Amino acid sequence: MKESKFIRYFILVHWLFFAGTSVLDKIIPDVYPLWVGADFYTLFVKLFASLGITDPIFATSALALVSTLEILVFVCYLFSFVYEVKDKKKAAERWFNKGISISLVLFSLFSIGDQVFGDRFTLLEHGIFWCILLLSWTVYSYYSSADSKKISLGSKLVIQSAIIVASALTVITSISILKFSESTWNQKKSPVVGVEIAENIYKFDYPFLGDKYTLETTLKTFEQNHSELKVNYIYTGPSELNTKKKTHMLLYIFTEKVTK
Amino acid sequence: MTETKNNNQQDLVRYFIIGYWSLFWLLNVIDKIIGGAHFLFVGRDRFAQVERFFDSIGLEHPLYANVALIVTAGLEIFALVFFLGSLYYLISKNLDTARSWFFIGIGFTLATFTFFSIGDQVFGDHFELLEHALFWFIALLSLIVFINIDRIALPNLVRTSGKQRYAFIIVVVLLTVITTTSIFYHNHTTFIQRTEARSAEQISENNFKIQFPFLAGSTAFENSLRKFSKEHQKLQIDNIYTAPNPLRLGKSDGLIIYIQTKPKQ
Repeated sequence: MKESKFIRYFILVHWLFFAGTSVLDKIIPDVYPLWVGADFYTLFVKLFASLGITDPIFATSALALVSTLEILVFVCYLFSFVYEVKDKKKAAERWFNKGISISLVLFSLFSIGDQVFGDRFTLLEHGIFWCILLLSWTVYSYYSSADSKKISLGSKLVIQSAIIVASALTVITSISILKFSESTWNQKKSPVVGVEIAENIYKFDYPFLGDKYTLETTLKTFEQNHSELKVNYIYTGPSELNTKKKTHMLLYIFTEKVTK
Repeated sequence: MTETKNNNQQDLVRYFIIGYWSLFWLLNVIDKIIGGAHFLFVGRDRFAQVERFFDSIGLEHPLYANVALIVTAGLEIFALVFFLGSLYYLISKNLDTARSWFFIGIGFTLATFTFFSIGDQVFGDHFELLEHALFWFIALLSLIVFINIDRIALPNLVRTSGKQRYAFIIVVVLLTVITTTSIFYHNHTTFIQRTEARSAEQISENNFKIQFPFLAGSTAFENSLRKFSKEHQKLQIDNIYTAPNPLRLGKSDGLIIYIQTKPKQ
């Protein structure tokens, strides 16, 4: 196979999944089993409310317009992919070009919205996606017209050795992943042990696996083990107190002695 | 076919590219093998991250996170091995084969980031989606540069006149001395802030403020609480309020906490 065909596939498949999952995210607007996605409806309602437009019809219509454009993009990429598989290069190119053009319009619209709603971080995000789209279009177009080199990996023995080495490394890494998973999984359910850092003040260094259920178990266990204390107040250590990425979450519990 | 010249300057760029991607995947694989934070390696607890993602979609069992991590590790390892193969062929001056191995390595890299992007959409993490889209694009761009670098005339990086070289060395040494002196002096005067207890400033009858320097960590916080409890033995901490970012002065304020107290009973 030639390099150019691979490159076109890499680009096409990436944008096909990108657009496909974006459309799916609009069809499934909330959190469900097997899908979390982003809550665009809430986002749009809040953005329009910040402009003083509280009637949900505007947010809903804007979201419907965005979804329509995303569907157009997805269908263009899907057609391009089908034609690419059928080896109809020109038709694949035409559909890909249409898809990218609509995508660029969509991200330009998003950027206008970000300016109107004053969201500079999202403006940067959409600007970056716009740029990636434009440049991947350029690369796709270049490899549609340029002469291409055939992939030749040289000696069969070297390729086989590389595959054996990679497979062996994958097995070693998999064993390590499974061992780590087995040894840390209990942190999810086990209560975190507190350390008294000052009179009646306890610190809990949460593991990365810890979640709301871990907190609940921790509190229950703490109360059972310290029946002489009453929890007055829980303070979540702000990220400034963390040792960069090593600390997940620090929790401080302020207590007082129960007077009978 | 692309015209290729085996030029040293162009090869240097190729070494940079292969070196970058080889190290990128090597460290990612090491991160997966080590797992968790250890002395001299913190990395990322990928198991916890992926498990929480799957838990959020209702798949709590660790099996799902393990399978996803193993598939990811497999893609990363194959990318690494093909980059190392490319490096081997580049050192052996077999540019055509080096290019093909690099191409397959980039193919695994692009597949990995596309796989991550699908996950980001499913789990609703749009910041990670942007991050992975950027890496996907950087990988694609590296491939284009690797393939087409021969078309660009690069200036020779090594040959500079003696005068320029001396001027360069003098400026670099001078600036390095000034900068390192400043860094070491700063370390000498401020490192203590990392753990030192801060004093509380009373702002109303039962409210106190503690302002922490940027260097302060959890030990400084705990020492400050201990100091506060010792200095105000008749008071009991009722509540701690962390000043949110909008209340802080630009980037010049570190952590600020307000302690609300009540008399001890």
